[in-house]
Amino acid sequence: MTTFILPPISVVPPAAATIGRMAVSVNPRIPRQGMSTLLKGSVTDRILLLVSLLGITAAWFTVQALVASGPAVAEIYHGKRLLATYPLPKAGETPKTFQIDGELGPSEILLDEDGVRITSSPCSAQRCVYSGAHRHAGDMIACVPNRILITIRGSAKRRFDAIVE
Amino acid sequence: MGPVILRPPLAELQQKANWLALLLLAIGLHVFEAALPSLGPWFKPGLANLVTLLALLWLGPRAAVLLSIGRVVIGSFFIGTLFTPTFVISMAGGLAAAAVMIAAWRFIPGISLIGVSLLGAIAHMVAQFVTVETLFIQQSVLYFALPPLLLLSTTTGWLNGALAGYIAARLEFPDE
Repeated sequence: MTTFILPPISVVPPAAATIGRMAVSVNPRIPRQGMSTLLKGSVTDRILLLVSLLGITAAWFTVQALVASGPAVAEIYHGKRLLATYPLPKAGETPKTFQIDGELGPSEILLDEDGVRITSSPCSAQRCVYSGAHRHAGDMIACVPNRILITIRGSAKRRFDAIVE
Repeated sequence: MGPVILRPPLAELQQKANWLALLLLAIGLHVFEAALPSLGPWFKPGLANLVTLLALLWLGPRAAVLLSIGRVVIGSFFIGTLFTPTFVISMAGGLAAAAVMIAAWRFIPGISLIGVSLLGAIAHMVAQFVTVETLFIQQSVLYFALPPLLLLSTTTGWLNGALAGYIAARLEFPDE
């Protein structure tokens, strides 16, 4: 037979026990404000935001400068290895399809004037397939389960050399 | 007379009940976010992390870390991603965000929940990339995709922080 020893009746200190509502202590670091006031944040928050936005902008420009040089090519990686580098076909050129072997199995890749896309993949989520075609410098398609990464370097030319009306 | 079991004090039970309630909420949001249409690869609003932040305020750092671990493990059961890359990435992100938020709340003077949430969101995103880079796709080119995603992170971090502030001010904190 198990015996429970119950705590004494007055578990709640009398000071905190109020009738009807539970006592709520006010945390000075969490003021009770409306949503519009809250959204503004404190001065520290705004400094943090500014610093992170500056960092992100700087990183963005650095990345663009690094990837945007040279002709547009698609680089295909599996894990640590660079498997292939293909120039992106211009409008009118024949599309290319090929298979590469990843961690789980073959991924099918299509290169055409829309850019590069994964058309079939052995992974379960299929996010790489759904992400569609990419053609801008810095774009990438990553299939994490299959450990395949496709990046685009170089400035992709416009799809049309000229538009004649 | 059998063995005598001392019932734990009510305050402790209350804390456990609160933690469990938050855990269930976090699991629900984790599953909900996985079911959302993808707003881009590896990007989610981070509502499950908001619960980690609430746990940190309400129940302390230890509860927050345990909650993010529990949320990712149990949530993965429901989504069917247990021990897959998705699971590893979520876990790394969740833990990094928890660690950064705990440190920010403890050590940065004048920070409000918005700043904490902002830093947490950034840590979450960076940790995901570091995990993918070290374990799955070992190419530093991968980091080139980071800036736009970080920009989204700052936005959701800020909004979630304001939400957390709104909710936390209306939570019933135990008297100390």
